[in-house]
Amino acid sequence: MKRIAVIAVLVAAFVPLAAAVAQLPTFGEASNPTNTYLVPRYLQKGPEEAGAANVVTDVILNYRGYDTNGEVVVIFTALIAALATLLVRPKQMAATPPGDDAPRSPIVSFVVKAIAPFIAVFTVYLVLHGHLSPGGGFQGGTIFGALIILLSLTLGHKYGLSLLPERSRPWLQAAAVLAFIAVGLLGWALCGAYLAYPSYSQLEWVREGWLIALEIGIGVGGAAIFATVFWTMEAEP
Amino acid sequence: MSEIFDLLLLVLLITTALCVIRTKDLLAAAVIFSTYSLIMCLVWQMRGAPDVALTEAAVGAGVTTVLFLVTISRTVRREK
Repeated sequence: MKRIAVIAVLVAAFVPLAAAVAQLPTFGEASNPTNTYLVPRYLQKGPEEAGAANVVTDVILNYRGYDTNGEVVVIFTALIAALATLLVRPKQMAATPPGDDAPRSPIVSFVVKAIAPFIAVFTVYLVLHGHLSPGGGFQGGTIFGALIILLSLTLGHKYGLSLLPERSRPWLQAAAVLAFIAVGLLGWALCGAYLAYPSYSQLEWVREGWLIALEIGIGVGGAAIFATVFWTMEAEP
Repeated sequence: MSEIFDLLLLVLLITTALCVIRTKDLLAAAVIFSTYSLIMCLVWQMRGAPDVALTEAAVGAGVTTVLFLVTISRTVRREK
């Protein structure tokens, strides 16, 4: 009886959903609204209207800026949730995990030390060059977070933690959210809407500066959050 | 040529996905899952989305794998 009821509920939910999906325009059809005016507009006017030569950056930070703002808050909330459920104190993070006293391979630590500067330079390039070429705050920040995790794993947690000083750590973790709030409120004060950008051609450098501020904020915040989640999970409970 | 490469990538993608599900050893599953992410990264690149390919390589193949390995080292290695 219960099984029949479950099947009935599932069918009742499936039929309207399938009917709705069937009415959607065919994927990739040339006459779809996305292909008739949205994508051509982004591709033709994006660099001029939004201020970045890389159209993906235009969409992420300008046309769909509110979405990115929301995503940044979601990632920050995920960090808060991880910290709140695992309940790890900063001192526990610095402690070496059990089984970590085994001698580390000199080859691994040498290779990591040798490639770490190159990875760091690449992340800076990705973040600062994100409005011209593929890349940007998210990509650069994630790779920098991975670099911090790599250094923590091979050279010890204290080494990685020294890159995020304890006093400034909360600010670094919230960097992306704070950058969005700052740029958003600046846009509200100067251009009349939250996260609006100046459109005058004379103020091109201001817009460029806001975009770079957002990219740096997203990069720093992403790296700090990834590294902190790693330390939180590794820490001795 | 490009289509053959695409097809090869997609077959590899499905194969690795099935392997992840069937593997009982969680350490092996995490490693295979990072291979899945690398193949997915190539697919994004072939589809002309280098931004997503970069993210996939950094998050999927890098950070997520490390987090899985940390979780395995804190819990158990074999699936019951």
